[in-house]
Amino acid sequence: MKKRLNVGYLVALLISLAVALLIGAAILAISGHNPLVAYRALLGGAFSNGRHIGDMLEYAMVLCLCGLACDIGSRVGIFNVGGEGQLLLGAIFAAQIGVWLDGTSAWIAIPLAALGAMAVGGFYAWIPGVLKVKLKVNEVITTIMLNTVAAFLCQFLAKGPWKNANKNIVAGTGNLPSAFWFSKLVPGSNLSTAIIFSAIITFLVWYILQKTTKGYEMRLTGDNPRFALFAGLKTDRIVIITMVISGMMCGLCGMFRVYGAEHIYKSSVSNEYYFEGLMVAMIAQYQPLPTVIISLIFAILKIGAMGMETAAGVPKQLYLIIQTVVIFCMAAETGIRVAIGKAREKRQAALDIKTRREGGAAHE
Amino acid sequence: MTDEIRFEHISMEFPGVLANDDISLSIRDGEVFALVGENGAGKSTLMNILYGINTPTAGELYVRGEKVTTFSPKAAIDRGIGMVHQHFMLVPSFTVAQNIVLGREPKNAGVLFDNRKAEKLTRELVEEYGLEVDPSAEIRDISVGLQQRVEILKTLYRGADILILDEPTAVLTPQETDELFEVIRRIVREKQMTVIIITHKLNEVMAISDRVGVMRQGKLIGVEETKNVNEKILASMMVGRPVLFDHLEKAGEPGEVAIKVDDLYVADNRGLPAVRGVSLEVKKGEVLGIAAIEGNGQSELLEAITGLRKINRGTVAVCGRDATNHTPGEIRDMGLSHVPEDRLSTGVDKLASVADNLLVGRQKEKRFNLLGFHQRRSTVERYAEELYRKFDIRGAGIHTEVGSMSGGNMQKVVVAREFTFDTPVLVISQPTRGVDIGAMEFFHTRIIEKRNEGAAILLSSADLDEVFRLSDRIITLYEGKITGEFSANAITKEEIGFYMTGSRKEGEA
Repeated sequence: MKKRLNVGYLVALLISLAVALLIGAAILAISGHNPLVAYRALLGGAFSNGRHIGDMLEYAMVLCLCGLACDIGSRVGIFNVGGEGQLLLGAIFAAQIGVWLDGTSAWIAIPLAALGAMAVGGFYAWIPGVLKVKLKVNEVITTIMLNTVAAFLCQFLAKGPWKNANKNIVAGTGNLPSAFWFSKLVPGSNLSTAIIFSAIITFLVWYILQKTTKGYEMRLTGDNPRFALFAGLKTDRIVIITMVISGMMCGLCGMFRVYGAEHIYKSSVSNEYYFEGLMVAMIAQYQPLPTVIISLIFAILKIGAMGMETAAGVPKQLYLIIQTVVIFCMAAETGIRVAIGKAREKRQAALDIKTRREGGAAHE
Repeated sequence: MTDEIRFEHISMEFPGVLANDDISLSIRDGEVFALVGENGAGKSTLMNILYGINTPTAGELYVRGEKVTTFSPKAAIDRGIGMVHQHFMLVPSFTVAQNIVLGREPKNAGVLFDNRKAEKLTRELVEEYGLEVDPSAEIRDISVGLQQRVEILKTLYRGADILILDEPTAVLTPQETDELFEVIRRIVREKQMTVIIITHKLNEVMAISDRVGVMRQGKLIGVEETKNVNEKILASMMVGRPVLFDHLEKAGEPGEVAIKVDDLYVADNRGLPAVRGVSLEVKKGEVLGIAAIEGNGQSELLEAITGLRKINRGTVAVCGRDATNHTPGEIRDMGLSHVPEDRLSTGVDKLASVADNLLVGRQKEKRFNLLGFHQRRSTVERYAEELYRKFDIRGAGIHTEVGSMSGGNMQKVVVAREFTFDTPVLVISQPTRGVDIGAMEFFHTRIIEKRNEGAAILLSSADLDEVFRLSDRIITLYEGKITGEFSANAITKEEIGFYMTGSRKEGEA
């Protein structure tokens, strides 16, 4: 039963992607571009060489971590929109810890930076979590507002107390000592060993949500909090802890951005990546494995679009239109899946009745 | 008399279940037709076909001689068919009038919603049909009985002359049921409407219907003139075997006090006092029944005892330990299990499987955990299978989503889980609301078994027969206060009605 559903999901996903690409092709054709050339350039942009593949995978990693952070929140019925702020704070603290610990062993600095990033991100998610549970303050509002606070706080730190000694860098922390950099898996790309840790985290999230007693309790809490409370679960605590873990993942993602790719805290650490991760999670219906798949698709489109712009001369604006259409179609995936399921049920039911009738007649 | 509705060889198949099997049935113009059967017999499915929610997999449907080709609620409404579902479909934050006109709103200058006109239209309907209700009250503030009236008025507003009522009395008090029947008789007599009632309360079938159709396992077993049958005949047609309402043997003397409530004050959802100074004791080995008309504080009282609602004043003790304003989890640990009033919102996780719902509360037990965190699915499933069989849950197995099950089977899931905790204290609210005869028999036997094993049971039910059948002692609640306490065999149903409506108080009689 479960297996069949997953196949249905993949089929629906592929159909929606195909439809989106067809619509995109029409738009390309109308605006005077050859769709085939443009799409070849898109694929080329994502896959033509190791560097592109590396960048694509790194971006997928970021989307996946953010998406999973959103997934676990939604599992207990809380919507963490504040991942962007948690990510930024995690990044800047991790970067500054690296600057402070210059000269020590990477075996000390990297774990400390990771812990620091998780602590800051977790704390920053704890605030809206507690407000939600204790005072029933809507977490969507608090997390969105805290994003702004975090962004300005980081601006202040990067321009003020933690500013880079280099005057040409207007807003940025000190350079991360190269001893602490994650090794590159593909030279020249953003892809580093951080993706290995991300893969482990992804596995853990999947495992906890699907296979453990805690994941079971989380699901009960998210599905029906009143029932969970009635059944004796400490729902308040479950919600807060989950929110903190979600924030910790975002903070760690920020640290990966600094230690794996940027090697400094500056605004390019995240260009609203969390919100794209949020979109991934929503399209994936907050399920871990689809989140991974859709992260990859989004990353291919995003990195590929840069190739499309340079190789086929398709302006960026047009790429945005195509991306939007893709998102619409993929969001319609549920509808497509339901339609497929209904058609199959109907066929099956008609068949069953027919055989039953005929079988019955044969007996008489 | 003409045939208003004709089903011809209708079949309806859901994956794995043949819900309706080759059904041919005619319903006459201007009659009250009762459709009875156990849970899952296919009554609701058949009526959902008539109302256009389901499209039959085979067969034909005729309404007033016309063949139905498009199945949708909208098309059904256009044909003059109205349906009131078991679970109401009202917007809680809208007023009565707004709910009634929803979808066909009167407009001001063709654009703006005209609230005054909506209320006027509602008032006209109310007067025409004698269904008293305040058009400007918000749905969330009115009782279930009144909400049902709103549902009926909604169908009338849309011009229905065929009315389908799905388990209409499941949520009503005896008085409300009488009033509903009065309304049904009136609309049939004066407005020549056709009414179809889905039910499994046979005394009601006898009281209200002209003809009755009995369904069992998707098949139509028979259609009879009501005056030619009796409850016994119908019950055996429904179940497929003679049904004996056994006398429930109660044994043993009450023991020590297990629930002690002292001078309790609790507020309702709006912050108004709902329970006002209630004190009671329940001893081990006895059933204390609460008889009260809906909305007189019994729901709030049970929620306060079980930790789901805040206590403003007074104390609750469970098994000798203070439970006042403790969490439901802590109170469970003191030895209390709870079958809640509203199983959909409190008793189950609709989205989870039967197995997951049966496990709740035991998920931390060693046998279900490997290394203390990994859930052992095979053990969980074996445990669920065991309860599934033991409590005779009927559905498509332990992997079924609970939300897709019938009310009776959903209740079996709740009872199976709560009764298996084997706690010394049981709080049970509305155990058989919306449940069929077979299951009712089963629940009652289980409850008395628990009592005889020495459990202290606090029972609240809108079904007065049930309260009398199961209780050793009965208290009546009126406006949040206890108006009387009786030994169950020392008072009649009629007498207790006076205490439930507050027209008599203990000591005044």
